[in-house]
Amino acid sequence: MTQLRNASQVGRLGFLSEQNKRDIYLAALEVLANVGMRVYHEEAKTLLLEAGCTLTPQDRVLMPRHLVEQARLCVPSVVNLYDRDGTLALELGGYNSYFGPGSDLMSTYDLETGAHRPSTLKDVARAARLCDALPHLDFIMSSAHPTDQDPHLSYLLSFAEMMQNTRKPLVMTAENERDLSVMIQIARELRGGAEALRQKPYLVVYNEPISPLEHPEESLSKLLLCADTGVPSIYSPAPLAGATAPITVAGHTTQGVAESLFGLVVHQLRKPGAPFLFGIGPAVLDLVTAQSSYNAVEYLMTYMCAVEMAKWLDIPNWGYAGTSDSQLLDAQAGMEATQITFLAMQAGSNLSHDVGYLDFGLTGSLEEIVLVDEFISMNRRLLAGIEVNRDTLALEAIAEAGPGGQYMTSEHTYRYMRAVQWRPTILNRHGRERWLADGGLDLAARARQKALDLLATHQVPALPADLAVKTDELIGAFAAAGA
Amino acid sequence: MSLFEDLKLNVEQGKKEAVLALVAQALDQGHSAQQILQQGLIAAMDIVGAKMEQEEMFIPEVLRAAKTMEAGLEILKPLLGVGDMQVSGKVVMGTVKGDLHDIGKNLVAMLLSSAGFEVIDLGINVAPAVFAQKAEATGADFLGMSALLTTTMPMMAATIEELEKAGLRGRVRVLIGGAPVTQAYADQIGADGYASDAGAAIKVAKELGAVKA
Ligand code: B1M
Repeated sequence: MTQLRNASQVGRLGFLSEQNKRDIYLAALEVLANVGMRVYHEEAKTLLLEAGCTLTPQDRVLMPRHLVEQARLCVPSVVNLYDRDGTLALELGGYNSYFGPGSDLMSTYDLETGAHRPSTLKDVARAARLCDALPHLDFIMSSAHPTDQDPHLSYLLSFAEMMQNTRKPLVMTAENERDLSVMIQIARELRGGAEALRQKPYLVVYNEPISPLEHPEESLSKLLLCADTGVPSIYSPAPLAGATAPITVAGHTTQGVAESLFGLVVHQLRKPGAPFLFGIGPAVLDLVTAQSSYNAVEYLMTYMCAVEMAKWLDIPNWGYAGTSDSQLLDAQAGMEATQITFLAMQAGSNLSHDVGYLDFGLTGSLEEIVLVDEFISMNRRLLAGIEVNRDTLALEAIAEAGPGGQYMTSEHTYRYMRAVQWRPTILNRHGRERWLADGGLDLAARARQKALDLLATHQVPALPADLAVKTDELIGAFAAAGA
Repeated sequence: MSLFEDLKLNVEQGKKEAVLALVAQALDQGHSAQQILQQGLIAAMDIVGAKMEQEEMFIPEVLRAAKTMEAGLEILKPLLGVGDMQVSGKVVMGTVKGDLHDIGKNLVAMLLSSAGFEVIDLGINVAPAVFAQKAEATGADFLGMSALLTTTMPMMAATIEELEKAGLRGRVRVLIGGAPVTQAYADQIGADGYASDAGAAIKVAKELGAVKA
């Protein structure tokens, strides 16, 4: 059994009682059994109907409780991800929490000029290399969406860039099962075969149903392909409270739980025991400005409920961190990005993405990624908790110092200081004179400087030449077939 | 409070029963249908529009106000002359092929219909040929397209081509929107109008309608 690290002594902010969780689960089961969902994928529909679901005259699939319970018995509680080299990197489950950037941002704040401009394939590569260098970003998503490429090749080309520019595991979006199957083929080449990739997953696929209660053809095709190939799949809806989901936190959570569990059942019916991530993208439609907020306080509440439900169901979860609705990297961005990240960390949200999002998921900032990396670093220290034992109680050191003494030269200080004192890399701890001498920069400017420095120096070992050739071939063949 | 003040307030607050009663009362008191429409219902919606712009009202409140206004209008319709009730125009709209995002499109559709447009919503994943067929079949004045993905934006250009092929481009004004869409893109593909949000969509549609008329 995988041993999960667990900051168990640290108290967690809980929103749901045991009874609340049961009630939400039962309400979700009721939605599945009595309201039903629409399924736009014939094979998946047949799979469900043969397993005991029924079809209403309005073409809704009703799912009985026992199918959900059966899927829960089959689905793994821990999903392991391996890096490009095949080394175990992430153990998703329990209270382990890992972080990564988001995907598909259409615009980017240019690191060099500060200009707000359309994202390009180069941005995907740069984000991957920067995140490779940052120790507290654990997995990689595309961050940018390459608007300078053939749209139908965009996900595949991003995948190739990401593979070249980071060793960390990847989470991918894909247009449909066709480009996804090419990604999987390339990953198999990397690992040395289908079975090797199944044993050591390198990528996770982000699939989404459509709220309310619809499961499109593309999402289910990708979900089934993941089940077949052993590539871990996320199945997380983005119900927008007030627009495509109930406005109340409990109702929002209930619908999201039902939608994600529906995918779980399809996935486990296809391949019992295949790796799956539960999740809810608890978006909130601001009913005054009509923007889809990633940081509304109700968003954070539904998010925390989703994580608590994942723990209760004992299924690894997909989550969110490091986002801001602000238009630029300002004090609002600092406030919002850190609040959601801290909540994710303390809740033990397993795989949290979207670090570096601004502008409701439309604009990316590498500086924000650097900032959040620092914040995660600091709070990993905080949530590791406090060790209380004879030595840390420091009775001897206190006696030694005595009244009027000091600890600067104490053996105890010397032994512990590097382990106890967390060091910032960009937060300022200099006095006014030194800060002015260093240029009098604010935090955003220092984050920018750090990003520039890392991008100038950080190298990722090249992929084996034959793999690079093979990748180009596979993408070339896909492009040719499409045209 | 005067009868009209009362009527406007109840429209704004979405109180349908009260509005129906007040419209009936106004007719009893001898006000013309035209006067009730202009000074009551439409005046109320002008206030609602302004409050929405000033972010004083939630969108569901605006939508309910519009529904309430429509209920009142139903009573007046048989009494109004043809010239009294201008429909702002007929709009066929949908989300383009390959794209399943529809929250923004739905919002634009609802607000356009509150603003007096007749909206025929084709839903999501609408192919260029289907847009063209429906525009033709319904005699639409406008074609509205929404796209949220950079991968599906090219479908807007393809749809405009389809309209051209069908010989409809002269008659149908094309309005586009969605997060990745810009005025520059609209110019590039030869769309008639672009709107960054639902409020702007109504303004642009009205402007385009006026240009045409
Ligand atoms: C006719 O005239 C007009 C005039 C004005 C018009 C108009 C038409 N249409 C719109 N407007 C304008 O007025 C409206 C009202 O003010 C506005 O409409 P909007 O739609 O902009 O605003 C709405 C009121 C609120 N906003 C929204 O509803 C969109 C919010 C975000 C978060 C979003 C959502 C909710 C969803 N998504 Co999607 N999603 C994102 C979005 C990020 C964002 N901030 O835009 C975006 C658009 N999605 C994205 C992606 C990648 C995807 N999504 C996908 C799926 C989904 C959900 C199903 C989960 C859900 C949609 C649910 C639904 N029923 O629509 C997938 C694609 C599915 C498909 N084939 O369409 C998938 C590919 C992800 C995947 N894992 O598979 C990104 C696009 C990247 C790109 N470069 O193309 C994205 C920017 C988020 C991100 N950064 O990853 C204006 O644009």
